[in-house]
Amino acid sequence: MTDVGTRVRTAVVPSAALPRHRSLAGYLVMPAILASACLIMYLYVSSRELDSIEARSLNAAALATATWEHIQLTAVSTLLTLVIAVPLGILLTRPFTRRFRPYLITLLTLGQAIPTIAVLVLLAVAFLFLGFQAAVVGLVLYAIIPVLLNTMVGLEQVDESVLEAGRGMGISKSGVLFRLELPLSVPIILAGVRTALVINVGTATLTTYINAGGLGDIIVAGLSTNRVLIQIIGAALTAVLALLIDYLAGIAEDFLRPKGL
Amino acid sequence: MNLKARTITAVGAGLVLTLSACGGGNDDGGAASSGELAGAELIVGSKEFTESILLGQITAVALENAGAAVEDRTGISGSATVREALETGEVDMYWDYTGTGWVNILGNTTTDVPEDLYAAVAEADAENGIAWLEPANFENTYRIAVPSSFAEENGLSTMSDAAAYIQENPDDATVCAASEFINRDDGLPGLEEAYGFEFNNVVELDLNLIYTQIGEECTFGEVFSTDARIVSNDLTVLEDDQEFFVEYQGALTLRQETLDEYPAIADIMAPISEALTDETMTELNGRIDNDGEQPRDVAEEWLESEGLLG
Repeated sequence: MTDVGTRVRTAVVPSAALPRHRSLAGYLVMPAILASACLIMYLYVSSRELDSIEARSLNAAALATATWEHIQLTAVSTLLTLVIAVPLGILLTRPFTRRFRPYLITLLTLGQAIPTIAVLVLLAVAFLFLGFQAAVVGLVLYAIIPVLLNTMVGLEQVDESVLEAGRGMGISKSGVLFRLELPLSVPIILAGVRTALVINVGTATLTTYINAGGLGDIIVAGLSTNRVLIQIIGAALTAVLALLIDYLAGIAEDFLRPKGL
Repeated sequence: MNLKARTITAVGAGLVLTLSACGGGNDDGGAASSGELAGAELIVGSKEFTESILLGQITAVALENAGAAVEDRTGISGSATVREALETGEVDMYWDYTGTGWVNILGNTTTDVPEDLYAAVAEADAENGIAWLEPANFENTYRIAVPSSFAEENGLSTMSDAAAYIQENPDDATVCAASEFINRDDGLPGLEEAYGFEFNNVVELDLNLIYTQIGEECTFGEVFSTDARIVSNDLTVLEDDQEFFVEYQGALTLRQETLDEYPAIADIMAPISEALTDETMTELNGRIDNDGEQPRDVAEEWLESEGLLG
Protein backbone atom coordinates (compact mmCIF):
# COMPACT_ATOMS: atom_id res chain seq x y z
CA MET A 1 0.00 0.00 0.00
CA THR A 2 2.57 2.51 1.08
CA ASP A 3 4.45 1.41 -2.00
CA VAL A 4 1.79 2.91 -4.18
CA GLY A 5 2.14 6.23 -2.46
CA THR A 6 5.89 6.28 -2.58
CA ARG A 7 6.08 5.23 -6.17
CA VAL A 8 3.60 7.86 -7.19
CA ARG A 9 5.41 10.52 -5.27
CA THR A 10 8.88 9.87 -6.58
CA ALA A 11 7.54 9.55 -10.08
CA VAL A 12 5.82 12.86 -9.97
CA VAL A 13 7.91 15.27 -7.98
CA PRO A 14 10.68 15.69 -10.57
CA SER A 15 8.12 17.00 -13.06
CA ALA A 16 7.93 20.14 -10.93
CA ALA A 17 11.11 21.08 -12.76
CA LEU A 18 9.37 21.17 -16.15
CA PRO A 19 10.00 24.25 -18.27
CA ARG A 20 7.60 26.98 -17.30
CA HIS A 21 6.15 27.86 -20.66
CA ARG A 22 4.86 24.91 -22.57
CA SER A 23 3.59 24.84 -26.11
CA LEU A 24 0.05 23.67 -26.78
CA ALA A 25 1.41 20.29 -27.84
CA GLY A 26 3.38 20.21 -24.61
CA TYR A 27 0.16 20.65 -22.69
CA LEU A 28 -1.47 17.76 -24.51
CA VAL A 29 1.24 15.14 -23.93
CA MET A 30 0.27 14.19 -20.39
CA PRO A 31 -3.50 13.90 -20.96
CA ALA A 32 -2.79 11.79 -24.02
CA ILE A 33 -0.54 9.44 -22.07
CA LEU A 34 -3.05 9.12 -19.22
CA ALA A 35 -5.98 8.59 -21.58
CA SER A 36 -4.16 5.85 -23.43
CA ALA A 37 -3.19 4.20 -20.12
CA CYS A 38 -6.89 4.12 -19.19
CA LEU A 39 -7.82 2.82 -22.62
CA ILE A 40 -5.26 0.02 -22.41
CA MET A 41 -6.58 -0.97 -18.97
CA TYR A 42 -10.15 -0.90 -20.24
CA LEU A 43 -9.37 -3.01 -23.30
CA TYR A 44 -7.34 -5.51 -21.30
CA VAL A 45 -9.96 -5.95 -18.57
CA SER A 46 -12.83 -6.25 -21.02
CA SER A 47 -10.94 -8.83 -23.07
CA ARG A 48 -10.52 -11.04 -20.03
CA GLU A 49 -12.91 -13.55 -18.56
CA LEU A 50 -13.34 -12.23 -15.00
CA ASP A 51 -14.17 -14.52 -12.10
CA SER A 52 -16.86 -13.45 -9.64
CA ILE A 53 -14.39 -11.75 -7.29
CA GLU A 54 -12.76 -9.79 -10.11
CA ALA A 55 -16.11 -8.82 -11.57
CA ARG A 56 -17.18 -7.45 -8.19
CA SER A 57 -14.31 -4.94 -8.13
CA LEU A 58 -13.59 -4.35 -11.79
CA ASN A 59 -16.88 -2.95 -13.05
CA ALA A 60 -17.63 0.60 -14.12
CA ALA A 61 -19.85 1.39 -11.13
CA ALA A 62 -17.40 0.18 -8.48
CA LEU A 63 -14.42 1.86 -10.14
CA ALA A 64 -16.27 5.14 -10.66
CA THR A 65 -17.45 5.21 -7.04
CA ALA A 66 -13.97 4.49 -5.74
CA THR A 67 -12.38 7.10 -8.00
CA TRP A 68 -14.94 9.75 -7.06
CA GLU A 69 -14.46 9.01 -3.35
CA HIS A 70 -10.74 9.27 -3.88
CA ILE A 71 -11.04 12.64 -5.60
CA GLN A 72 -13.24 13.94 -2.79
CA LEU A 73 -10.82 12.73 -0.13
CA THR A 74 -7.89 14.33 -1.92
CA ALA A 75 -9.67 17.60 -2.68
CA VAL A 76 -11.12 18.20 0.76
CA SER A 77 -7.95 17.22 2.60
CA THR A 78 -5.74 19.35 0.36
CA LEU A 79 -8.03 22.36 0.70
CA LEU A 80 -8.01 22.03 4.50
CA THR A 81 -4.26 21.58 4.44
CA LEU A 82 -3.89 24.87 2.56
CA VAL A 83 -6.25 26.72 4.88
CA ILE A 84 -4.22 25.59 7.88
CA ALA A 85 -0.66 25.41 6.57
CA VAL A 86 -0.30 28.64 4.58
CA PRO A 87 -1.47 31.04 7.32
CA LEU A 88 0.57 29.03 9.84
CA GLY A 89 3.59 29.32 7.57
CA ILE A 90 3.11 33.08 7.32
CA LEU A 91 2.78 33.36 11.10
CA LEU A 92 5.93 31.34 11.64
CA THR A 93 7.98 33.73 9.48
CA ARG A 94 6.85 36.81 11.42
CA PRO A 95 9.44 38.04 13.91
CA PHE A 96 7.24 37.59 17.01
CA THR A 97 7.07 33.81 16.55
CA ARG A 98 10.83 33.43 16.40
CA ARG A 99 11.12 32.10 19.95
CA PHE A 100 8.90 29.04 19.66
CA ARG A 101 9.28 28.43 15.91
CA PRO A 102 11.79 25.56 16.13
CA TYR A 103 9.71 23.72 18.73
CA LEU A 104 6.53 23.90 16.68
CA ILE A 105 8.28 22.70 13.55
CA THR A 106 9.90 19.82 15.42
CA LEU A 107 6.51 18.85 16.80
CA LEU A 108 4.86 18.89 13.39
CA THR A 109 7.71 16.98 11.79
CA LEU A 110 7.46 14.37 14.52
CA GLY A 111 3.77 14.12 13.76
CA GLN A 112 4.59 13.43 10.16
CA ALA A 113 7.02 10.70 11.12
CA ILE A 114 4.10 8.62 12.45
CA PRO A 115 2.88 6.38 9.62
CA THR A 116 -0.50 7.50 8.25
CA ILE A 117 -2.01 4.10 8.82
CA ALA A 118 -1.13 4.44 12.51
CA VAL A 119 -2.79 7.85 12.69
CA LEU A 120 -5.92 6.50 11.00
CA VAL A 121 -6.10 3.41 13.18
CA LEU A 122 -5.42 5.48 16.28
CA LEU A 123 -8.39 7.69 15.45
CA ALA A 124 -10.51 4.60 14.97
CA VAL A 125 -9.34 2.76 18.09
CA ALA A 126 -8.99 5.60 20.57
CA PHE A 127 -11.91 7.78 19.52
CA LEU A 128 -14.04 5.30 17.57
CA PHE A 129 -13.75 7.87 14.82
CA LEU A 130 -14.26 6.41 11.34
CA GLY A 131 -15.13 7.28 7.79
CA PHE A 132 -14.60 10.27 5.54
CA GLN A 133 -13.99 12.85 8.27
CA ALA A 134 -11.50 10.70 10.15
CA ALA A 135 -9.68 10.04 6.89
CA VAL A 136 -9.50 13.76 6.14
CA VAL A 137 -8.04 14.44 9.60
CA GLY A 138 -5.35 11.83 8.99
CA LEU A 139 -4.54 13.10 5.52
CA VAL A 140 -4.34 16.74 6.62
CA LEU A 141 -2.01 15.87 9.49
CA TYR A 142 0.23 14.17 6.99
CA ALA A 143 0.23 16.82 4.26
CA ILE A 144 0.60 19.90 6.44
CA ILE A 145 4.37 19.75 6.75
CA PRO A 146 5.40 20.09 3.08
CA VAL A 147 3.06 23.03 2.55
CA LEU A 148 4.07 24.70 5.79
CA LEU A 149 7.78 24.31 5.18
CA ASN A 150 7.51 25.46 1.56
CA THR A 151 5.51 28.50 2.65
CA MET A 152 8.20 29.40 5.14
CA VAL A 153 11.06 28.77 2.74
CA GLY A 154 9.22 30.71 0.05
CA LEU A 155 8.73 33.72 2.29
CA GLU A 156 12.24 33.62 3.68
CA GLN A 157 13.98 33.49 0.32
CA VAL A 158 12.45 36.81 -0.74
CA ASP A 159 15.29 39.27 -1.13
CA GLU A 160 15.46 41.48 1.94
CA SER A 161 16.39 44.51 -0.20
CA VAL A 162 13.08 44.20 -2.08
CA LEU A 163 11.22 44.36 1.21
CA GLU A 164 13.38 47.28 2.36
CA ALA A 165 12.52 49.09 -0.83
CA GLY A 166 8.83 48.40 -0.27
CA ARG A 167 8.94 49.70 3.26
CA GLY A 168 10.94 52.68 2.07
CA MET A 169 8.15 53.49 -0.33
CA GLY A 170 5.78 53.66 2.63
CA ILE A 171 3.96 50.36 2.10
CA SER A 172 2.38 49.04 5.31
CA LYS A 173 3.47 45.77 6.95
CA SER A 174 0.49 43.84 5.57
CA GLY A 175 0.97 45.56 2.24
CA VAL A 176 4.52 44.25 2.08
CA LEU A 177 3.24 40.76 2.92
CA PHE A 178 0.42 40.65 0.39
CA ARG A 179 1.95 42.72 -2.42
CA LEU A 180 5.58 41.65 -2.24
CA GLU A 181 6.34 38.67 -0.02
CA LEU A 182 3.48 36.36 -0.95
CA PRO A 183 3.52 36.95 -4.72
CA LEU A 184 7.29 36.46 -4.78
CA SER A 185 7.03 33.17 -2.90
CA VAL A 186 4.12 31.77 -4.90
CA PRO A 187 6.23 29.35 -6.98
CA ILE A 188 7.74 27.70 -3.91
CA ILE A 189 4.43 27.60 -2.02
CA LEU A 190 2.78 26.02 -5.04
CA ALA A 191 5.51 23.40 -5.26
CA GLY A 192 4.60 22.46 -1.68
CA VAL A 193 0.92 22.30 -2.60
CA ARG A 194 1.68 19.97 -5.47
CA THR A 195 3.65 17.73 -3.15
CA ALA A 196 0.74 17.72 -0.70
CA LEU A 197 -1.71 16.85 -3.45
CA VAL A 198 0.34 13.94 -4.67
CA ILE A 199 0.99 12.70 -1.12
CA ASN A 200 -2.73 12.83 -0.46
CA VAL A 201 -3.60 10.85 -3.57
CA GLY A 202 -1.16 8.15 -2.49
CA THR A 203 -2.02 7.99 1.20
CA ALA A 204 -5.76 8.19 0.58
CA THR A 205 -5.48 4.57 -0.57
CA LEU A 206 -5.03 3.67 3.12
CA THR A 207 -8.34 5.16 4.21
CA THR A 208 -10.09 2.04 2.99
CA TYR A 209 -9.23 0.50 6.37
CA ILE A 210 -11.47 2.97 8.21
CA ASN A 211 -14.48 2.90 5.89
CA ALA A 212 -13.61 6.03 3.93
CA GLY A 213 -13.60 4.28 0.57
CA GLY A 214 -11.45 5.47 -2.31
CA LEU A 215 -9.25 3.51 -4.68
CA GLY A 216 -7.75 1.71 -1.69
CA ASP A 217 -10.95 -0.36 -1.67
CA ILE A 218 -9.96 -1.75 -5.05
CA ILE A 219 -6.29 -2.33 -4.22
CA VAL A 220 -7.03 -3.99 -0.89
CA ALA A 221 -9.77 -6.12 -2.44
CA GLY A 222 -7.10 -7.41 -4.83
CA LEU A 223 -4.55 -7.94 -2.08
CA SER A 224 -6.87 -9.74 0.31
CA THR A 225 -8.27 -12.10 -2.31
CA ASN A 226 -4.96 -12.61 -4.11
CA ARG A 227 -6.21 -11.22 -7.44
CA VAL A 228 -3.27 -9.54 -9.15
CA LEU A 229 -5.39 -7.97 -11.88
CA ILE A 230 -7.48 -6.08 -9.32
CA GLN A 231 -4.35 -4.88 -7.54
CA ILE A 232 -2.80 -3.64 -10.76
CA ILE A 233 -5.91 -1.80 -11.93
CA GLY A 234 -6.38 -0.19 -8.50
CA ALA A 235 -2.76 0.90 -8.32
CA ALA A 236 -2.70 2.09 -11.93
CA LEU A 237 -5.85 4.15 -11.47
CA THR A 238 -4.32 5.73 -8.38
CA ALA A 239 -1.19 6.57 -10.36
CA VAL A 240 -3.23 8.01 -13.23
CA LEU A 241 -5.17 10.15 -10.77
CA ALA A 242 -1.97 11.36 -9.10
CA LEU A 243 -0.39 12.26 -12.43
CA LEU A 244 -3.56 13.98 -13.62
CA ILE A 245 -3.87 16.05 -10.46
CA ASP A 246 -0.19 16.96 -10.59
CA TYR A 247 -0.64 17.95 -14.23
CA LEU A 248 -3.61 20.18 -13.40
CA ALA A 249 -1.72 21.70 -10.50
CA GLY A 250 1.17 22.35 -12.88
CA ILE A 251 -1.12 24.29 -15.20
CA ALA A 252 -2.52 26.24 -12.26
CA GLU A 253 1.04 27.02 -11.28
CA ASP A 254 1.82 28.37 -14.77
CA PHE A 255 -1.07 30.80 -14.48
CA LEU A 256 -0.69 31.77 -10.82
CA ARG A 257 3.00 32.47 -11.02
CA PRO A 258 3.59 36.23 -11.04
CA LYS A 259 4.74 37.63 -14.36
CA GLY A 260 8.42 38.22 -14.78
CA LEU A 261 9.46 35.39 -12.48
CA MET B 1 6.55 -9.31 -6.68
CA ASN B 2 8.66 -12.35 -6.08
CA LEU B 3 11.66 -10.37 -5.01
CA LYS B 4 9.46 -8.14 -2.88
CA ALA B 5 7.75 -11.09 -1.25
CA ARG B 6 11.12 -12.55 -0.53
CA THR B 7 12.41 -9.31 0.92
CA ILE B 8 9.38 -9.03 3.15
CA THR B 9 9.81 -12.64 4.20
CA ALA B 10 13.46 -12.05 4.94
CA VAL B 11 12.86 -8.87 6.90
CA GLY B 12 9.97 -10.47 8.77
CA ALA B 13 12.00 -13.54 9.55
CA GLY B 14 14.91 -11.43 10.71
CA LEU B 15 12.65 -9.49 13.02
CA VAL B 16 11.03 -12.56 14.45
CA LEU B 17 14.40 -14.21 14.92
CA THR B 18 15.74 -11.18 16.73
CA LEU B 19 12.67 -11.04 18.92
CA SER B 20 12.72 -14.71 19.74
CA ALA B 21 16.44 -14.52 20.48
CA CYS B 22 15.69 -11.73 22.94
CA GLY B 23 12.96 -13.84 24.49
CA GLY B 24 15.47 -16.62 25.14
CA GLY B 25 13.47 -19.28 23.35
CA ASN B 26 15.24 -22.58 23.96
CA ASP B 27 13.67 -24.91 26.42
CA ASP B 28 16.68 -26.76 27.71
CA GLY B 29 15.17 -26.74 31.17
CA GLY B 30 11.89 -28.24 29.99
CA ALA B 31 10.81 -31.82 29.70
CA ALA B 32 13.35 -34.36 28.51
CA SER B 33 13.71 -34.48 24.74
CA SER B 34 12.38 -37.61 23.11
CA GLY B 35 14.98 -37.28 20.38
CA GLU B 36 12.93 -38.61 17.46
CA LEU B 37 13.93 -35.64 15.35
CA ALA B 38 17.54 -35.36 16.48
CA GLY B 39 19.61 -33.71 13.77
CA ALA B 40 16.62 -32.41 11.84
CA GLU B 41 16.66 -28.76 10.78
CA LEU B 42 13.16 -27.46 10.24
CA ILE B 43 11.74 -24.03 9.42
CA VAL B 44 8.30 -23.24 10.82
CA GLY B 45 6.30 -20.46 9.18
CA SER B 46 2.88 -18.96 9.85
CA LYS B 47 0.50 -16.29 8.66
CA GLU B 48 0.45 -12.92 10.37
CA PHE B 49 -2.50 -13.17 12.73
CA THR B 50 -2.48 -14.26 16.36
CA GLU B 51 -3.89 -17.75 15.98
CA SER B 52 -1.57 -18.65 13.13
CA ILE B 53 1.51 -17.40 14.98
CA LEU B 54 0.45 -19.30 18.09
CA LEU B 55 0.01 -22.52 16.11
CA GLY B 56 3.45 -21.97 14.59
CA GLN B 57 4.96 -21.56 18.04
CA ILE B 58 3.21 -24.66 19.38
CA THR B 59 4.64 -26.61 16.45
CA ALA B 60 8.11 -25.15 16.94
CA VAL B 61 8.18 -25.99 20.66
CA ALA B 62 6.96 -29.55 20.01
CA LEU B 63 9.55 -30.16 17.29
CA GLU B 64 12.37 -28.72 19.38
CA ASN B 65 11.27 -30.97 22.20
CA ALA B 66 11.74 -33.90 19.84
CA GLY B 67 15.30 -32.83 19.17
CA ALA B 68 14.95 -30.78 15.98
CA ALA B 69 16.71 -27.47 15.40
CA VAL B 70 13.83 -25.17 14.53
CA GLU B 71 14.10 -21.89 12.70
CA ASP B 72 11.22 -19.58 13.57
CA ARG B 73 9.72 -17.74 10.61
CA THR B 74 6.25 -17.18 11.96
CA GLY B 75 4.27 -14.08 11.10
CA ILE B 76 4.61 -13.92 7.31
CA SER B 77 1.96 -11.62 5.92
CA GLY B 78 -0.73 -12.99 3.65
CA SER B 79 -1.97 -16.53 2.98
CA ALA B 80 -0.65 -16.53 -0.57
CA THR B 81 2.86 -15.49 0.51
CA VAL B 82 3.19 -18.18 3.19
CA ARG B 83 1.92 -20.81 0.82
CA GLU B 84 4.47 -19.79 -1.78
CA ALA B 85 7.18 -19.89 0.87
CA LEU B 86 6.15 -23.48 1.62
CA GLU B 87 6.18 -24.52 -2.02
CA THR B 88 9.58 -22.97 -2.67
CA GLY B 89 11.11 -24.39 0.50
CA GLU B 90 11.57 -21.05 2.29
CA VAL B 91 9.61 -22.64 5.11
CA ASP B 92 9.05 -26.32 5.79
CA MET B 93 5.59 -26.15 7.34
CA TYR B 94 2.79 -23.88 8.47
CA TRP B 95 -0.80 -24.20 9.71
CA ASP B 96 -3.52 -23.59 7.19
CA TYR B 97 -7.28 -24.13 7.11
CA THR B 98 -9.29 -26.60 5.05
CA GLY B 99 -11.60 -23.88 3.71
CA THR B 100 -8.65 -21.71 2.65
CA GLY B 101 -7.12 -24.75 0.98
CA TRP B 102 -10.31 -25.52 -0.92
CA VAL B 103 -11.13 -21.98 -2.05
CA ASN B 104 -7.89 -19.98 -2.15
CA ILE B 105 -5.23 -22.57 -2.85
CA LEU B 106 -7.11 -25.09 -4.97
CA GLY B 107 -9.26 -22.44 -6.64
CA ASN B 108 -12.66 -24.08 -6.10
CA THR B 109 -15.91 -22.24 -5.59
CA THR B 110 -17.98 -22.50 -2.46
CA THR B 111 -21.00 -23.99 -4.19
CA ASP B 112 -19.42 -27.42 -4.47
CA VAL B 113 -17.94 -28.05 -1.03
CA PRO B 114 -17.54 -31.80 -0.50
CA GLU B 115 -18.88 -33.63 2.54
CA ASP B 116 -15.41 -34.51 3.83
CA LEU B 117 -13.60 -31.28 3.10
CA TYR B 118 -10.34 -32.30 4.75
CA ALA B 119 -10.02 -35.50 2.72
CA ALA B 120 -10.82 -33.67 -0.52
CA VAL B 121 -8.29 -30.93 0.15
CA ALA B 122 -5.58 -33.34 1.27
CA GLU B 123 -6.10 -35.49 -1.81
CA ALA B 124 -6.14 -32.61 -4.28
CA ASP B 125 -3.15 -30.85 -2.72
CA ALA B 126 -1.08 -34.05 -2.74
CA GLU B 127 -0.70 -33.44 -6.47
CA ASN B 128 1.14 -30.22 -5.61
CA GLY B 129 3.47 -32.19 -3.34
CA ILE B 130 1.91 -30.71 -0.20
CA ALA B 131 0.77 -32.93 2.66
CA TRP B 132 -2.01 -32.00 5.09
CA LEU B 133 -1.66 -33.68 8.48
CA GLU B 134 -4.82 -34.83 10.27
CA PRO B 135 -6.77 -31.67 11.11
CA ALA B 136 -7.08 -30.34 14.63
CA ASN B 137 -10.30 -30.32 16.62
CA PHE B 138 -10.99 -26.66 16.07
CA GLU B 139 -12.57 -24.64 13.34
CA ASN B 140 -11.89 -20.97 12.78
CA THR B 141 -14.58 -19.97 10.38
CA TYR B 142 -16.32 -16.78 9.38
CA ARG B 143 -19.28 -15.86 11.54
CA ILE B 144 -21.56 -12.88 12.03
CA ALA B 145 -21.73 -11.45 15.55
CA VAL B 146 -23.87 -8.86 17.35
CA PRO B 147 -23.55 -7.28 20.81
CA SER B 148 -24.92 -9.75 23.38
CA SER B 149 -27.35 -7.20 24.80
CA PHE B 150 -28.71 -6.55 21.32
CA ALA B 151 -29.10 -10.28 20.67
CA GLU B 152 -31.07 -10.68 23.88
CA GLU B 153 -33.35 -7.71 23.30
CA ASN B 154 -34.28 -8.88 19.83
CA GLY B 155 -34.15 -12.62 20.36
CA LEU B 156 -31.42 -13.25 17.81
CA SER B 157 -29.52 -16.51 17.96
CA THR B 158 -29.28 -17.71 14.36
CA MET B 159 -28.57 -16.13 11.00
CA SER B 160 -32.17 -16.85 9.99
CA ASP B 161 -33.33 -14.76 12.98
CA ALA B 162 -30.99 -12.04 11.79
CA ALA B 163 -32.33 -12.18 8.24
CA ALA B 164 -35.89 -11.79 9.52
CA TYR B 165 -34.85 -8.94 11.82
CA ILE B 166 -33.04 -7.13 9.00
CA GLN B 167 -36.05 -7.37 6.72
CA GLU B 168 -38.18 -5.74 9.43
CA ASN B 169 -35.60 -3.17 10.53
CA PRO B 170 -33.71 -2.10 7.41
CA ASP B 171 -32.23 0.85 9.33
CA ASP B 172 -30.24 -1.55 11.48
CA ALA B 173 -28.95 -3.47 8.49
CA THR B 174 -25.34 -2.37 8.80
CA VAL B 175 -22.37 -4.70 8.88
CA CYS B 176 -18.70 -4.12 9.68
CA ALA B 177 -16.49 -6.31 7.54
CA ALA B 178 -12.99 -6.52 6.11
CA SER B 179 -12.20 -6.36 2.42
CA GLU B 180 -11.59 -10.08 1.96
CA PHE B 181 -14.98 -11.02 3.47
CA ILE B 182 -16.74 -8.39 1.38
CA ASN B 183 -15.26 -9.70 -1.84
CA ARG B 184 -15.17 -13.45 -1.40
CA ASP B 185 -17.99 -15.62 -2.69
CA ASP B 186 -17.88 -17.59 0.56
CA GLY B 187 -18.15 -14.29 2.43
CA LEU B 188 -20.75 -11.55 2.39
CA PRO B 189 -22.15 -11.86 -1.17
CA GLY B 190 -22.85 -15.57 -0.72
CA LEU B 191 -24.18 -15.13 2.81
CA GLU B 192 -26.73 -12.55 1.69
CA GLU B 193 -27.83 -14.80 -1.11
CA ALA B 194 -28.10 -17.90 1.09
CA TYR B 195 -30.25 -16.19 3.71
CA GLY B 196 -32.15 -13.93 1.33
CA PHE B 197 -31.45 -10.54 2.82
CA GLU B 198 -29.21 -7.61 2.10
CA PHE B 199 -27.21 -5.29 4.32
CA ASN B 200 -28.02 -1.69 3.42
CA ASN B 201 -24.70 -0.43 4.57
CA VAL B 202 -21.32 -2.16 4.58
CA VAL B 203 -18.69 -0.51 6.76
CA GLU B 204 -15.34 -1.61 5.35
CA LEU B 205 -12.70 -1.82 8.06
CA ASP B 206 -9.40 -3.39 8.89
CA LEU B 207 -10.07 -6.81 10.43
CA ASN B 208 -8.71 -5.78 13.81
CA LEU B 209 -10.97 -2.73 14.06
CA ILE B 210 -14.18 -4.71 13.62
CA TYR B 211 -14.57 -6.21 17.10
CA THR B 212 -14.82 -2.85 18.89
CA GLN B 213 -17.06 -1.32 16.24
CA ILE B 214 -19.88 -3.88 16.45
CA GLY B 215 -22.65 -2.03 18.25
CA GLU B 216 -21.03 1.31 17.45
CA GLU B 217 -20.70 1.98 13.76
CA CYS B 218 -22.62 -1.13 12.79
CA THR B 219 -25.15 -3.57 14.22
CA PHE B 220 -23.61 -6.71 12.77
CA GLY B 221 -19.97 -7.62 12.22
CA GLU B 222 -17.77 -10.23 10.59
CA VAL B 223 -15.76 -12.21 13.15
CA PHE B 224 -13.51 -15.26 13.24
CA SER B 225 -15.13 -17.90 15.40
CA THR B 226 -12.12 -18.65 17.64
CA ASP B 227 -11.17 -15.02 18.20
CA ALA B 228 -11.08 -14.22 21.89
CA ARG B 229 -12.19 -10.65 21.24
CA ILE B 230 -15.69 -12.09 20.75
CA VAL B 231 -15.66 -12.83 24.47
CA SER B 232 -13.86 -9.70 25.62
CA ASN B 233 -16.19 -7.40 23.66
CA ASP B 234 -19.28 -9.29 24.88
CA LEU B 235 -20.47 -10.31 21.44
CA THR B 236 -22.88 -13.07 20.53
CA VAL B 237 -22.03 -15.19 17.51
CA LEU B 238 -25.04 -16.01 15.37
CA GLU B 239 -25.43 -19.67 14.53
CA ASP B 240 -25.06 -20.43 10.82
CA ASP B 241 -28.25 -22.51 10.71
CA GLN B 242 -28.21 -22.90 6.92
CA GLU B 243 -24.60 -24.07 7.11
CA PHE B 244 -23.50 -21.57 4.54
CA PHE B 245 -19.97 -20.90 5.74
CA VAL B 246 -17.28 -23.27 4.60
CA GLU B 247 -15.51 -25.35 7.24
CA TYR B 248 -12.17 -23.89 8.30
CA GLN B 249 -10.47 -26.68 10.23
CA GLY B 250 -6.86 -26.03 11.12
CA ALA B 251 -4.21 -28.46 9.86
CA LEU B 252 -0.44 -28.45 9.62
CA THR B 253 0.70 -28.39 5.99
CA LEU B 254 4.17 -29.39 4.86
CA ARG B 255 5.94 -30.60 1.74
CA GLN B 256 5.54 -34.34 1.19
CA GLU B 257 9.34 -34.71 0.91
CA THR B 258 9.75 -33.20 4.39
CA LEU B 259 7.17 -35.61 5.79
CA ASP B 260 8.85 -38.55 4.02
CA GLU B 261 12.18 -37.57 5.52
CA TYR B 262 10.79 -37.01 9.03
CA PRO B 263 7.61 -39.11 9.39
CA ALA B 264 7.86 -38.57 13.15
CA ILE B 265 6.43 -35.05 12.65
CA ALA B 266 2.98 -36.54 12.07
CA ASP B 267 3.19 -38.66 15.22
CA ILE B 268 4.36 -35.73 17.30
CA MET B 269 1.63 -33.41 16.02
CA ALA B 270 -1.28 -35.86 16.19
CA PRO B 271 -1.99 -35.66 19.96
CA ILE B 272 -1.44 -31.90 19.87
CA SER B 273 -3.95 -31.44 17.05
CA GLU B 274 -6.43 -33.53 18.94
CA ALA B 275 -6.11 -31.38 22.04
CA LEU B 276 -6.68 -28.13 20.11
CA THR B 277 -10.42 -27.56 20.47
CA ASP B 278 -12.46 -24.43 19.74
CA GLU B 279 -12.47 -23.53 23.44
CA THR B 280 -8.73 -24.08 23.78
CA MET B 281 -7.97 -21.91 20.74
CA THR B 282 -10.24 -19.11 21.94
CA GLU B 283 -8.64 -19.20 25.38
CA LEU B 284 -5.05 -19.29 24.07
CA ASN B 285 -5.76 -16.56 21.49
CA GLY B 286 -7.21 -14.47 24.30
CA ARG B 287 -4.10 -14.81 26.42
CA ILE B 288 -2.20 -13.18 23.55
CA ASP B 289 -4.76 -10.66 22.25
CA ASN B 290 -6.35 -9.64 25.54
CA ASP B 291 -3.68 -10.31 28.16
CA GLY B 292 -0.65 -9.41 26.05
CA GLU B 293 1.28 -12.63 26.63
CA GLN B 294 3.94 -13.75 24.13
CA PRO B 295 2.83 -16.50 21.70
CA ARG B 296 5.96 -18.51 22.48
CA ASP B 297 5.27 -18.48 26.22
CA VAL B 298 1.62 -19.38 25.74
CA ALA B 299 2.64 -22.27 23.47
CA GLU B 300 5.21 -23.64 25.93
CA GLU B 301 2.94 -23.37 28.94
CA TRP B 302 0.00 -24.97 27.21
CA LEU B 303 2.00 -27.89 25.84
CA GLU B 304 3.48 -28.50 29.25
CA SER B 305 0.24 -28.24 31.17
CA GLU B 306 -1.37 -30.72 28.78
CA GLY B 307 1.56 -33.09 29.18
CA LEU B 308 2.20 -33.02 25.45
CA LEU B 309 5.97 -32.64 25.66
CA GLY B 310 6.46 -36.34 26.34
